[in-house]
Amino acid sequence: MSLGSRKKMWTVAVLTAAVMTTASACGGGSGGDSGGSGDKVKIVFSYWGSDARQKLTEAALKKFEEKNPTIDVEGDFSNWDSYYEKLATKLAANDAPDVMSIEIRGLSEYAGRGALADLAGKVPSADLDQQVLTSGQVDGKQFAIPTGVNAFSMLANPSVLEKAKQKLPDDKTWTWDEWINLAKQVSTTGGGAMGAEYNPNPAWLQVFAAQRGEKFYDGTKIGLSVDTIKAWWNISQQLIATKAAPEPAKSAELLTAGPEQSLLATNAGAMGMWWSNQLNILSKASGQELELLRMPRQKGATSGGMFLQPAMYYTASAKTEHSAEAAKLIDFLVNDPDAAAILLSDRGLPTNSKVLAAVKDKLPPVDQRTLTFIDEIKGELSPITAPPKGALQMEDILKRNTDEVLFGKTTPDAGAQKFLSEANAAIAG
Amino acid sequence: MATRSNAVPFLFRPRKGGRLLKHLMLAGFGLLMLYPLLWMISSSLKPQELIFREPGLLPSTVTLENYSNGWHALKHSFGYYLWNSAVITGLSVLANLIACSLAAYAFARLNFPLKKLWFAVMLGSIMLPHHVTVVPQYILFSNLDWINTIWPLVVPKFLATDAFFIFLMVQFIRTLPRELDEAASIDGAGYWRVFLQVILPLCVPALATTGIFTFIWTWNDFFSQNLYLTNSDNLTVAVALRQFLDSSGESAWGPMFAMSIVSLGPIFGFFLAGQKYLIRGVATTGLK
Amino acid sequence: MHESMSDSLSVTAGHRQPPAVNARRRREALTAYVFLAPWFLGLFVITVGPILASLYLSFTDYSLLEEGSWVGTDNYVKMFTQDDRFLTSLKVTTIYVVVSVPLQLAFALLLALALDRGLRGLPFYRSIYYLPSLLGGSVAIAILWRKLFGVDGLFNAVLSIFGIEGPGWVSDPDTALGTLILLHVWTFGAPMVIFLAGLRQIPQSYYEAASVDGASRLRQFRSITLPLLTPIIFFNLVLEVIKSFQSFTQSFIVSGGNGGPVDSTLFYTLYLYLKGFKSYEMGYAAAMAWVLLLIIAGLTGVNFLASKYWVFYGDTK
Repeated sequence: MSLGSRKKMWTVAVLTAAVMTTASACGGGSGGDSGGSGDKVKIVFSYWGSDARQKLTEAALKKFEEKNPTIDVEGDFSNWDSYYEKLATKLAANDAPDVMSIEIRGLSEYAGRGALADLAGKVPSADLDQQVLTSGQVDGKQFAIPTGVNAFSMLANPSVLEKAKQKLPDDKTWTWDEWINLAKQVSTTGGGAMGAEYNPNPAWLQVFAAQRGEKFYDGTKIGLSVDTIKAWWNISQQLIATKAAPEPAKSAELLTAGPEQSLLATNAGAMGMWWSNQLNILSKASGQELELLRMPRQKGATSGGMFLQPAMYYTASAKTEHSAEAAKLIDFLVNDPDAAAILLSDRGLPTNSKVLAAVKDKLPPVDQRTLTFIDEIKGELSPITAPPKGALQMEDILKRNTDEVLFGKTTPDAGAQKFLSEANAAIAG
Repeated sequence: MATRSNAVPFLFRPRKGGRLLKHLMLAGFGLLMLYPLLWMISSSLKPQELIFREPGLLPSTVTLENYSNGWHALKHSFGYYLWNSAVITGLSVLANLIACSLAAYAFARLNFPLKKLWFAVMLGSIMLPHHVTVVPQYILFSNLDWINTIWPLVVPKFLATDAFFIFLMVQFIRTLPRELDEAASIDGAGYWRVFLQVILPLCVPALATTGIFTFIWTWNDFFSQNLYLTNSDNLTVAVALRQFLDSSGESAWGPMFAMSIVSLGPIFGFFLAGQKYLIRGVATTGLK
Repeated sequence: MHESMSDSLSVTAGHRQPPAVNARRRREALTAYVFLAPWFLGLFVITVGPILASLYLSFTDYSLLEEGSWVGTDNYVKMFTQDDRFLTSLKVTTIYVVVSVPLQLAFALLLALALDRGLRGLPFYRSIYYLPSLLGGSVAIAILWRKLFGVDGLFNAVLSIFGIEGPGWVSDPDTALGTLILLHVWTFGAPMVIFLAGLRQIPQSYYEAASVDGASRLRQFRSITLPLLTPIIFFNLVLEVIKSFQSFTQSFIVSGGNGGPVDSTLFYTLYLYLKGFKSYEMGYAAAMAWVLLLIIAGLTGVNFLASKYWVFYGDTK
């Protein structure tokens, strides 16, 4: 017995030593990717998206390498669903990409936990929209440079409205009640088409709350009142009760299915709320020329509550050994017309006025219309700041509680309380 | 071959007339199993914009453009990703067959100190959800400088970390009568010869099962391939397929369905080839 | 060869000379460790480190992005006292396991028996019946499942023939879990294949002898097939319980990653994943993992104890 186990320990020790040596030998043979070959500096740039974006980005990176022959950029592409899990794992292993794409909800998480470098003074930002640029700040430091902007807006399908014998509303004055009524009308006379589909996106609640003078995030607390949340749910409840929008189960299905299968995109619905950069896909899927509209208002509201939100940000790792090269890449991506000529509006409409002027004519017609729309509403916008840590969970929390109320599993009062406590817990943690 | 008629002495041996009924039942039920595949094939043949507008199984317009678009949609042609997957999958199958059968033989047939403890440890190692070990494991492989190589995906398999298959083969070996090895060792065979010449040939179904499952699970394994192979030149089929989809934006549904069908080819082929061995059990090797 | 010679020697000399028995035992143990060498290597180099690391992390507030600090048993206490979603996930997973595992295994065994032999074209049927498992975790199937069990899906269309108006199965909190259970049962291919392989391990001679004795087919099934298949049934049971408790992919892809609607498909590991990678509470996630390990290990232990009463091994006489 004792002999056996001693032998075992001996075996294990030898084997462990053996694997360590072979492992490091193998590693030495295949690795060495951090230093880069010759006098070239290699940096890694991580981003998410579709295969179309990957192609555009690869082309832009190639252009960058042409202009900067001493820098070699490796694109680290991942689809959206697994982007953050992969990024977090790499950061945990001290293996962070030098330049990382992050969206606004993840910004405080990564900046607050010390993963990002302050880019102030490193990346020229004079020509960028200064208000939008501010949204890349956390605790007064410029951790992130916005790529381009979007607005959460109402989209309407004129052909469906026409079929239902309804007119396109005047979006400068319309109220939520008018919107609900219009949707109701369409459902009655639209020959099978629905008036609206609701989208329990925090952005909608943010717009709605701003019209009532409340902020979604007030510092590190949720600034919404129970009444506001209830009033907001009431809109969806009215839509469902009057059959202006499909029942909750169908709506939930539509939400998971994504923009291309939405009622709006399949010409089965007249109106829906989407980000302005989704106009492109929705139009393509429906084959119709869709209209961008302002969000309806609360009666008597002084502010429309709409805001421009960066589609995503470029950030640099706090631990990168090549911060100059990382800054150079970000500079190229946001400030160089050559980059914009390739990327166009893929990451939102550019906010660099000079770049925008240079590529404006190259943008496809749909983007031109978005641009006109954003110019029109520019004077009415509310400012935007990066939400606190935990904001990445907000969409799920809101959706869960909204479902619970709309499926009748709880009362709006209790639901609102529960939402507030869960949401506050998420951003406090 | 001569005993063929005797080789069907089983519960479901059909009587006259029952045979047709059984065929009907199996085929009818089989349609339920086939439906998803038919749906995928049909979707892959529809023009992109019709996929969700047209719910029926029969496409009104048939097009092959999803296949040609999908094949060339990504940085490399799809064949490139098929090859990447094939290399990793092939090595994994080999690795699991060797490493797991060795360990299984020891657990099933040999006596050694602490056997029960190690067996429990082996089972225990499959009970912890991998989401919490993935970060430390990534750190390990990252320190070995193995990121963006196939080693993190293949080396663990050569070290029998897929305990599932060890347990599988242990159970199979234990169904074999012990007299077999005893007879062999009386004939002068050592442990290695018993293992190679008695146990392994009788375990062909278990080996086939291991091979088939390893092939399928590795081929479809998105999680670790996505994590360890980040360079766009190293991608595998499982990762490439997801690149057609972007839940917040534009998805290439048609090409995704088309390439899903294409990537189904190798695993289905492997299953077809493997199932021959799956059913080559003790019964057909003429034992006793 | 040297080995085998002394091997047979020790067999003959076994009873009278204890030293030879000891030598034999030692050699057997040594051989065993050689056979197990790759596994030990993997265990100590790849498996054990991360497992112990996760155990340590479960007592910290590690966030992935920053180093964690020691918080003692806080994570474990919080789980059972303050986290309603944790309890929900436990409940959802338990229902899922209890309902789907027996159903799936029964289904797999039945089909394995039907597809074993005795009919032309069985390889063809076997392939078709395995297809769902090939597709099971793919995105395409998630899309199909949502379509099939949607408000206007095929399933409701069939129901409407019988005058029943079904709900939106996938997105209704009351029925969503049911569709995932169905998806799990439907991917019965893996246990079926293992059963098929197991059936072929049963020596044909047993049946021949029984036939000669005039035993009915049901009798043959009960007295030959079933007992000899018990190690394989046992294997499938143990593994399916472990795997089902760890189910992740199906809920992840069908619910769009959040376990919805209203947490009705919030599997344990999905919640664990959301905690670790979405809320950046990896310490908490690690604690959840260890609780799950204890649950699964407990059930597996019970399974093994119970197996003494119903599992029959060919190697024990």
